[in-house]
Amino acid sequence: MRPPSLVPWLGFTAAALAIAFAPTVADGGLLRLLSEVLITLAMAQMWNLLAGYTGLVSMGHQAFAGIGAYLLFVASDRLGISPYWMVPVAGLGGALLAAVVAPLMFRLRDAYFSIGMWVLAEIVRLLVAKFPLFGGESGVPLQAVRLVEAESFQQNAFWISGAIGLAAVAGVYLLMRSPFGLGLMAVRDNELAATSIGVNVWRNRFIAFVLSGLGFGLAGGAHFMGTMFVSPDSAFDINWVVTAMFIVIIGGIGTIEGPLIGTVIYFGLRELFNTWFAMSGGWYLIAMGCIAIAVMLLAPRGLWGLARERWGWRGLSVQRHPPPRDEASLSAPLPPSTQQGRTA
Amino acid sequence: MAWLETLINGVLLGGLYALFGLGLALVFGVMRMVNLAHGEFVVLAAYFAVFLATQFPGVSPLFFIAPVALAAFGMGYLLQRLLLNRAVATDDPLTPVLVTFGIAVVLRNLMVELFGADPRALDGGALATAGFEIGGLRIGWYPVLVLVLAVLAFGALQWLLQHSRFGLVVRATSDHREIVRTMGVRPRHVYAVVMGLSLAFASVAGLLLALRTSFTPFSGVERLLGAFEVVIIGGLGSFRWALVGGIALGVAQLVGQRLDSNAGALYAHLLFFAVLMVRPNGIAGART
Repeated sequence: MRPPSLVPWLGFTAAALAIAFAPTVADGGLLRLLSEVLITLAMAQMWNLLAGYTGLVSMGHQAFAGIGAYLLFVASDRLGISPYWMVPVAGLGGALLAAVVAPLMFRLRDAYFSIGMWVLAEIVRLLVAKFPLFGGESGVPLQAVRLVEAESFQQNAFWISGAIGLAAVAGVYLLMRSPFGLGLMAVRDNELAATSIGVNVWRNRFIAFVLSGLGFGLAGGAHFMGTMFVSPDSAFDINWVVTAMFIVIIGGIGTIEGPLIGTVIYFGLRELFNTWFAMSGGWYLIAMGCIAIAVMLLAPRGLWGLARERWGWRGLSVQRHPPPRDEASLSAPLPPSTQQGRTA
Repeated sequence: MAWLETLINGVLLGGLYALFGLGLALVFGVMRMVNLAHGEFVVLAAYFAVFLATQFPGVSPLFFIAPVALAAFGMGYLLQRLLLNRAVATDDPLTPVLVTFGIAVVLRNLMVELFGADPRALDGGALATAGFEIGGLRIGWYPVLVLVLAVLAFGALQWLLQHSRFGLVVRATSDHREIVRTMGVRPRHVYAVVMGLSLAFASVAGLLLALRTSFTPFSGVERLLGAFEVVIIGGLGSFRWALVGGIALGVAQLVGQRLDSNAGALYAHLLFFAVLMVRPNGIAGART
């Protein structure tokens, strides 16, 4: 195996530096937009980890985002701890919920898993809306904001969003280079063959599912901490998943670059629609939906897949290459070097 | 006595849910795909019925059943021919899921932009309130009519699939898509007819539901989840048990509403979870 290229790590370092210094140059509005972009990127990566690498298409990940947000609000307010420290708790809440429901949800296959997750999110939303502790239908403000300095709050919230966005990309990249990631892709491409060489299908799916729950919990907690208000309808909004799904499909499902490209296109188009055409959010979603349907039917590997086919770009490819042939092994035929499936 | 009434009304409401689920189960049984835009088409049919009602005031909404079902059939046929056949042909189970979900988002937002987000309803006139009494129980004619229509629809579909030539072709296509082609069957056409039937059944249910409760462009989600729960509770691919699943769901919802006035849907969802835990293959499915 060729040693991993340094280029991705240089990219991550550059992105980290850009995020670190962004508050010194960007104004409040731009910081808010960038926070949203990074949070959305994290969600898209996490949704793609599940859909693109394990074939589990969830329509209910808003449950994890919502639980994360509510945990952060209620815990930091009740315990009197700064909301910054409660962001990891939000992630743990998402992961815990995922771990608890996984045995039940994994009984459903394909589209039935998708809708089963949606029902789960509805149940959690209806339960949260019922309890006065969570502020009921109308929602709660972030009262714990009194515990932090007002001047630095926006900047810190942005850095937290940035860290989550970066960690999601780097985390999926590292994960997919590990034996665990190989196992995931093997299961997706041929479940029977993967099982027969000893890959534990259920365990792999479970880990990916819990990790994506963790990511959505973190992202949901950080997002609503930034907006300082949460309600059941906004926290458990199906549009979290709609956005992640459109981004992943348009960019390229089952790749790490796909969600990156998709996020740029998604927000680029949104700003274009809002500011230039002055069109409502509804028409924007209609346009994104039509693009996603067209991409799914005409270029199922997304824009990144097209670019890779046409120009042979490698980007953050996790593809492995066999070692160069030496004289001794020339007699034996080499295994095919290309992976099959969506990441090939 | 009030409880008995709730129970009976739940059974009757279940007939509607069963009709939603019927279309979903039919498409899944034949094409192995789930139409995530099912609920949005149901709502679209209800808007069409409201449009007809404004064009022909004074006509009983029951006369709109035929035109609405026909329009839904045509839409389903075209949808399958133009878009979904391509998605099914990829043989990747993810593609239809993602494509139909995209269609659902597009339709939902189109309806918001075109018709607004205000709740609408069909005026059933005398039918909605008329009823009769048996032994001190008051039962509306409308729920009885709905249940009769649901049972008729189930019977008709069962007969169509089991005893007609068309049903033979559908079952054969479902089993061996490639082999039936050599016998002159066009699977693309069969699939399109099945999708048309699925939406026709669902749209009739959508019209009947619009007589009872108001709807908005966002109601499609509720309809889809209801249809899905019916299918899972009843057991995948079993039409007869889908009716039982629908009735269980209807009873759970109305009993829930009585216990807890604003959270009936929660109890229907919880019933679904309970069934999934105890009998993962549904009431009709084999024990695991």
